[in-house]
Amino acid sequence: MPDTQALVNDFLNKLKKRKIEGSQATAKQTAELLRSVISQTRVPYTNQAGALIDSVKAVGERLIAANPVELAVGNIVRRVLHIIREEDLSLTTAAMAGLNLSAVSDDEDDTDRDDHPVLSAAAVAAASRSTLRPPSLQTLLEDVPDSAAVPHTSSSGGDSEGKSKSADKSSRSRKLKHDVIEAVNELIQDINTCHEQIAEQAVEHIHQNEVILTLGSSRTVLEFLCAAKEKKRSFRVFVAEGAPRYQGHLLAKELVARGLQTTLITDSAVFAMISRVNMVIVGAHAVMANGGVIAPVGLNMVALAAQKHAVPFVVLAGSHKLCPLYPHNPEVLLNELRSPSELLDFGEFSDLMDFGSGKGAPLLHVVNPTFDYVPPKLVSLFITDTGGHNPSYMYRLIADYYSADDLVVQRRPTSGN
Amino acid sequence: MWWRSPSFILDRQQQQEQNDSVPPESLFLTSAAPSMADSLQNPKSNISAYYQTRAAHHGVVTSDWLAQAQAAVGRHSDDDDSSESDGRAVPTVGGDGVSGKAFSVIEEFNNWRKQPDLAEAVAAIRALAAVIRASQATTMMELEIELKKASDSLKSWDTTSISLTAGCDLFMRYVTRTSALEYEDFNSAKSRLIERAEKFGEISCKARRIIAMLSQDFIFDGCTILVHGFSRVVLEVLKTAAQNKKLFRVFCTEGRPDRTGLRLSNELAKLDVPVKLLIDSAVAYTMDEVDMVFVGADGVVESGGIINMMGTYQIALVAHGMNKPVYVAAESYKFARLYPLDQKDMAPALRPIDFGVPIPSKVEVETSARDYTPPQYLTLLFTDLGVLTPSVVSDELIQLYL
Repeated sequence: MPDTQALVNDFLNKLKKRKIEGSQATAKQTAELLRSVISQTRVPYTNQAGALIDSVKAVGERLIAANPVELAVGNIVRRVLHIIREEDLSLTTAAMAGLNLSAVSDDEDDTDRDDHPVLSAAAVAAASRSTLRPPSLQTLLEDVPDSAAVPHTSSSGGDSEGKSKSADKSSRSRKLKHDVIEAVNELIQDINTCHEQIAEQAVEHIHQNEVILTLGSSRTVLEFLCAAKEKKRSFRVFVAEGAPRYQGHLLAKELVARGLQTTLITDSAVFAMISRVNMVIVGAHAVMANGGVIAPVGLNMVALAAQKHAVPFVVLAGSHKLCPLYPHNPEVLLNELRSPSELLDFGEFSDLMDFGSGKGAPLLHVVNPTFDYVPPKLVSLFITDTGGHNPSYMYRLIADYYSADDLVVQRRPTSGN
Repeated sequence: MWWRSPSFILDRQQQQEQNDSVPPESLFLTSAAPSMADSLQNPKSNISAYYQTRAAHHGVVTSDWLAQAQAAVGRHSDDDDSSESDGRAVPTVGGDGVSGKAFSVIEEFNNWRKQPDLAEAVAAIRALAAVIRASQATTMMELEIELKKASDSLKSWDTTSISLTAGCDLFMRYVTRTSALEYEDFNSAKSRLIERAEKFGEISCKARRIIAMLSQDFIFDGCTILVHGFSRVVLEVLKTAAQNKKLFRVFCTEGRPDRTGLRLSNELAKLDVPVKLLIDSAVAYTMDEVDMVFVGADGVVESGGIINMMGTYQIALVAHGMNKPVYVAAESYKFARLYPLDQKDMAPALRPIDFGVPIPSKVEVETSARDYTPPQYLTLLFTDLGVLTPSVVSDELIQLYL
């Protein structure tokens, strides 16, 4: 435990001081941290999933609070919670099937089973499935099942069966943790390889003699374009420099090093050049549940220009960037304001921005937002590691990756633990 | 270029001929006993009972309304003694004979529908529960057949109410899907069905609370909300926001001909929420001050669009033109298997409109009570299944019906 506490505190520090750049790195480190938390958590015999979920929620709550704008942290926490629930469910259904088979053969233990004579494995699985999936029209009239019934039968089964079952149960408890950790490893693997998976689809979208526009620098976009280049497509790239950090310069340098014809333009020139462009390809910081995109500043303007000239606006995003929350007032709440020094040179402007001169607040304000919100109607296509999707399809992916219960990551107040 | 044929003249001539002859029986009842047929038949075949009831509940207090309310109270004095407010009521059967044939599901439904706080679908499911209670079937199959007949008769009695149809379908689906599998004993299955049906009233209330909770994040301090029509769900949303001490103001459209806005503004004034009443024509005029539009829905259709009180489409168009979000608050049981392609593609639901002065008979009046808003003008739907974009609706419906 002390090991993980130190790791957690260390990571929290890094998040608070914004020392980790990029959602991929953040996602990966969050997943690795949660993996060690899970392996260190001690689980009781009954309701093991609950214990795991509690410990992950406790850590996750603090991580999310440390940097609420870095949505990848929350995404990974919720993915891990969903993994725990799913693994628990599949283990339970397997156990149920196993228990019922033995119930048929043991007649003397029927008294225990009289309470649940007709709780077939199918019914129990259906009941727990309904707690796992978000509520739907089908289950509207059904009771929220006695999800208590599920561990009860397993524990009563354990007691009545004796030694053979108890050996089974301890192996089951180890199995849940083992399965969860395996699944988290797969998740980390997915995060690592998301660039390759997205870049594989490049050939379908970029054709011969096309002109692509991008803004700023994104590693996903770089790999995407290079993958198309390797498949012998010849095309040109316009790179908008992406003030005030001018990361477009770096991207242009990289592209030229890989042999692509590149043109560097200012952000203000985007609207002028957009009519000569075939497609806009950009990366994203996060994708929200309604299909809206939190992207580096300047991309809303590019998206509007693209819509005006009917140019497809394609967003590349790994699945760890997909967030199940809806954006409320994202320009303010999901944005970070950076230092004015990126815009202005303190030497020249120090008298205008002086708070200490006693004349009250200075008249010059500098706003330097990091992100922009692009509404879903401006996005033509999302390319994720699972393929290309419509913005209105995002809810499906969210239903696959996340559980409805985890939208608010808050640890339920418990006495012990 | 185009030459529009003045077919409306031909149509009018045809209609006059029709009115001269005996009006045909346009509704077909299946399960009601013959002696009941006259009293149960919808008296005016094209007037929508659903919208009449809504007007009675939420329109301005008129002497008409008072008389109806008194009649409803009188009817209920038998039932009220035995009923409790938490939804576990056991209503006495329709006031008529308890013998199987004379039990009328439609009367039962009308009884439940008269309560202003009860959702339409809840009334339908309660009526079907009463059918189960009064049924003398001994097998699941027989019970299902009886329920199907009762549900069909309810649906055909009022073809314009989407919640009614949806409620019946939902209950039928639940009955056929789950009960036979889980219980071997018929009586326990029957009592379970009745219990779930009674619970549905609670589910409906819980649904409204979930919707209110989900929409809280979207109402920020200092916002202006435009509301159209009297939706109990939207009222719940605004009540919860007021209780959470959010500072917002509401614009209410008058909502002719029912004048629902007057009633709604009354309710909101009781909550100390600043309210402004607008006539329906003033919506575009005030739209730039508005931050969001909130409406309820009588039904949510497969495309993700909604069917709601007349005027909703207009407001959604104006909001869309001025880039304002339109939010719909609807419970999930209002999802219906309809796909209207245009405004006239639905069963006509007509309501008499009182202009206050006599209108010459040669003048036609557009009496439709509802319109269809296509999904591209809606931003989000708040349902008890979560916050949904219009494209999710067809997904949910597919899951339910396939």
